[in-house]
Amino acid sequence: MGIGLYGLLITRNLIKLVIVLQVLVKMALLALVAAGYATGQVNLGQSLAVTVLVADTVVAVIGLALAVQVRQRLGTLDVTQLSELRK
Amino acid sequence: MVSWLILLVIGLPWLGAAAAFFMREARPRALHTLAVAVSVVSAACAVALLPFATSEVALSLPVGGVFGDFTFIPDGMAIVLSIIATVIGSLAVIFSINYMEGEKQLGRYYALVLLFIGAMCGLVLSGSLLLMFFFWEITALCSYALISFDNDNPKAVEGGLKALIITQFGGVGLLAGALIAYGTLGTYQIPVFLAQAQTLAPALLSVMAFGFLAAAAAKSAQLPFHTWLPSAMEAPTPISALIHAATMVNAGVYLLARFYPAFEAVPGWTTAVVIVGALTALLAAIMAIVSNDLKEVLAYSTVSQLGYMVYGIGVGGVLAAQFHLLSHAVFKALLFLGAGAVIHALGTRDMRRMGGLGKEMPLVRAVFVVGALALAGIPPIFNGFWSKDMILEAGAEGGPTWAYIIMLAVAGLTALYCARMVWMVFYGERRSTAHVHDAPTAMRVALIPLAIGTVTTWLLIGPFGRLFGDTMPTHDLHLVNLGGMAAGAAAQLVIALPVIAIGLLAFWFRDRLSGVTRALGWLAALARADFGFELANRVVAGAARGAAGVVRETQTGQLNWNAVGILVGLALVLAVLALR
Amino acid sequence: MTYPTFIWLIGILLLASPVIYLVGRITRREDSTAPVARWLALAAVLGAWLPYLLALRDTNASMTVGAVALTMDGLGLLLAALSLALGTLVVVYSMRYMENEAGEEKYYSLLVAMIGVMIGLGTATDIFNLWLWFEAMAITSYVLVSFYRNKPLALEAGVKYLVQSAAGSMLILVGVALVLMQTGTLDIAEIRALAEPTPGFIVAGALFIIGFGVKAALVPLHTWLPDAYTQAPSGISAILSGVVTEAGLIAMLRALSALVAISASWGLLLMIFGALNMLVGNLLALRQTQVRRILAFSSLPHIGYMLIGLGIGISTGVANGLDGSMFHLLNHGLMKALAFLAAGTLLWVLHVAGTDHDELVTADLSGAGRRYPIVALAFSIAVLGLGGLPPLAGFMSKWQIFVSGFQTGDALIMATVVFAGLMSVLSLAYYAPLVNAIYRTVPSSVVAHGPTIPVLMQVPLALMALAVLVIGLWPSLLSWLAAPAAEALLAAFGG
Repeated sequence: MGIGLYGLLITRNLIKLVIVLQVLVKMALLALVAAGYATGQVNLGQSLAVTVLVADTVVAVIGLALAVQVRQRLGTLDVTQLSELRK
Repeated sequence: MVSWLILLVIGLPWLGAAAAFFMREARPRALHTLAVAVSVVSAACAVALLPFATSEVALSLPVGGVFGDFTFIPDGMAIVLSIIATVIGSLAVIFSINYMEGEKQLGRYYALVLLFIGAMCGLVLSGSLLLMFFFWEITALCSYALISFDNDNPKAVEGGLKALIITQFGGVGLLAGALIAYGTLGTYQIPVFLAQAQTLAPALLSVMAFGFLAAAAAKSAQLPFHTWLPSAMEAPTPISALIHAATMVNAGVYLLARFYPAFEAVPGWTTAVVIVGALTALLAAIMAIVSNDLKEVLAYSTVSQLGYMVYGIGVGGVLAAQFHLLSHAVFKALLFLGAGAVIHALGTRDMRRMGGLGKEMPLVRAVFVVGALALAGIPPIFNGFWSKDMILEAGAEGGPTWAYIIMLAVAGLTALYCARMVWMVFYGERRSTAHVHDAPTAMRVALIPLAIGTVTTWLLIGPFGRLFGDTMPTHDLHLVNLGGMAAGAAAQLVIALPVIAIGLLAFWFRDRLSGVTRALGWLAALARADFGFELANRVVAGAARGAAGVVRETQTGQLNWNAVGILVGLALVLAVLALR
Repeated sequence: MTYPTFIWLIGILLLASPVIYLVGRITRREDSTAPVARWLALAAVLGAWLPYLLALRDTNASMTVGAVALTMDGLGLLLAALSLALGTLVVVYSMRYMENEAGEEKYYSLLVAMIGVMIGLGTATDIFNLWLWFEAMAITSYVLVSFYRNKPLALEAGVKYLVQSAAGSMLILVGVALVLMQTGTLDIAEIRALAEPTPGFIVAGALFIIGFGVKAALVPLHTWLPDAYTQAPSGISAILSGVVTEAGLIAMLRALSALVAISASWGLLLMIFGALNMLVGNLLALRQTQVRRILAFSSLPHIGYMLIGLGIGISTGVANGLDGSMFHLLNHGLMKALAFLAAGTLLWVLHVAGTDHDELVTADLSGAGRRYPIVALAFSIAVLGLGGLPPLAGFMSKWQIFVSGFQTGDALIMATVVFAGLMSVLSLAYYAPLVNAIYRTVPSSVVAHGPTIPVLMQVPLALMALAVLVIGLWPSLLSWLAAPAAEALLAAFGG
């Protein structure tokens, strides 16, 4: 998780950022499953995981769609280039 | 009956304001008529309240919950100030018929003026601290909007914003005080607070007392918050007359007078009040002597006379201070409106471009001289003389000697700048080539009653005193009748008249005293620079902008940087949780 | 089978959403606009009022669907009122505002869904369900913020918003996992009984604050806010600033209420963030020239006032703190949404008039007072109300929060309230010049060449402005909504 968070801070490519986020959410998801297992509610853990998976996939799709649009309109995927809006 | 009168005094102008706003500027005649009618009717209602003066709650609107009841108490001070607000308000509105002829956004003008009149009456009639603060803030809103009425003029906008920020800043003092009262006593009702003030913890009462002093100083343009008033002169002159001479600036004095019984025992409070009043009176008088802008002289003069009132309260002469408030409202409104007539005719406020106007504007000169004599405190028939001497008398009896000497000196300085002002505008050689005419009808209708008032209101001291004494039991007022006032004034006159004479003579012989004038040049330069207070304003404003500039840099637009923010926040939270 | 009325409320909106999209798509015209979608959306939100009004009468109704229990308590009703009211007004407003935009069916479908989901958020009783509704709200908002896909700035804003918000959501999930691990349950009431001051819970609490705090615009998590609020279509800006951010705050409170036993510092933390928000927010707004960006930044101090009130209520139990912040939540939602809608109207004028710049700046406001009196008055009322001037609503709710501070008798809290008062004065330094600009007599080129404004855009403005005035004069008008919400919070935090 720490590596993931670190990744969030330094990744410049938009697609890679979305992937980093995905990874982080999967970690959280694993934690949920583990928690369910540890407290004897395996089914709960699994259903939580599935729900999170669905929601997260939607977010990823939107994120990637935005990335595509960004690439088309702005010609770059470098987040440091995306700083027209500041101050 | 009383509740209806109170509702009309406040509500009618407000309804008129709404109507005026939506009428916009399409039909100026209808607007003028509406405004005049509404303000005159509400003035009549205010006067009609006189026989019903009481120290009891006359109208109570239960709002419930944490907001308490909105109560109204028409006691002597409240009614007198309401009458001042509505009557002078009506005269200012009548004056505006000519002054604001052809102006755009007339609907908005009258809407704000009427909103103000209603709010001012509400402020003084209010029996609840919350309600009082509510109206206090509304008057600040109107003042700001009217100062910057000509939004295309950057100076006007700047003046309005300055007035808003400074008076609001002081207002936090009033806010804190009201909250303290509610927090400890569980009520906003002023009579309850006055009765139980001494039960508050001394520290809390002190905070409240000095907070109220700060709020009053800001509202009444006393040191160190006086810098907004000269900038407020960008407002249309009827507004200067109404808001910045006769009514809103008196709200601070009103606040101190109303809560005097609660705070007089707080250590250092009365001394602080005296210091604020005396120093303001002195410095403002000096600033008035060196100014060449007619309205600015009147503005500083207002600040100085308010200093007299504040001083008067500080030395325990609450009645004297209120009486001077009445006199000052009348003669200062007169002076401002008279100045307005001159400015309207000539198109400039610079006195160096005036002169010799007396011949072509005899009526304006006559009423202006009346007002100036009152301001300078010349006996025997001008109200300013009587009320100012009452204050000096109170100061001689109850206040520190150094302050008394200062106030005496200020009387002389006042005479000096009055003479200078009158001379530069109406006498001497004509420096302007513009064609002028005397005041048109509507302006006359406004000016003449005020002039009459200036020479007559002093006669009302007896009933005035009784009115206050009957309806304000918590205040320890020294009541006098006409004879008593005359006797007291005679004593003061012996001391004051020579000082005033010195002031007048100093002006008369100014050519021969030119050596002295040059020697005091450093003082004049300081005075023109507002004694450094304007500089202080700019420093504070600059610091805020600087800080804003620095903080802006954190909005980098860089996503990675923003992510850092999230982690910093997390660290912060964990730190706090770990440490507790 | 009878469902509690609030289920119907949420159901109507959530079911209408795909219908709006499908029907709108099918009946799409050649120019890609979808007028049918507009009317369907209007029908949906208007229709939702009936179950809402009925739901008002059975407070604390609950329903359990499988393992998920939903309860509509006072807090939920407040959130629902705000969402539905602002949602309806925005739908009406958007009918003309968005009429020439491609993808209308997507807009209305997502808007209606967002409203439904926010109402649902208020009913969650377990932390995972809370996260789920919250995530759904976030998802709808991601698409709506970057609605103008052809505009690079909108894409930029959308991207940053998505990444930051998703990061926050992830943190919440970790917190949920931690709590589940230690208690074996997700139900808020059960967790409250089981929670102890262990490091695991403390970390979970921190994660909740930060995770929800990104959406609730706590400083320093706020950086997505000015861009997202300004680049979104005006109706969405109004919803974002009026409800979404507040919903994030409410979600945070729900989650924290489960952990109330583990630390005495929750109130203090909220107050610290509150002070930070007020200071930073005001400073950031001070030197802006773009009108909508000023409005966006100005949301930060207002969240700050709410946080102060909540902090006071949670740490000392003074009811007025919670009551005042709930009241301010409503007032701010109303005033901020009004400001954005009014500014949006002028932005619409700008786009129709066609000028060399894309975003509304202060200079563009000149002359609006004479040309567009209703819009100008509405904007002035909104902005001066936000500045806390009476007789407008903002004064009363701020007052209530300030009173609560002084009722505690704690010197530090009282000093914070005085600080808040000073911050309110500071905010006038950027609110007031907007009003000055509007009432200038010389019109800007935008105003001079602008078209007449459609009635459908002016009606919501007039209604909201009137509401701001009326509430300002009669503050107890909304106490039927704010007080039960405050009670629910007080109960949740162990009053």
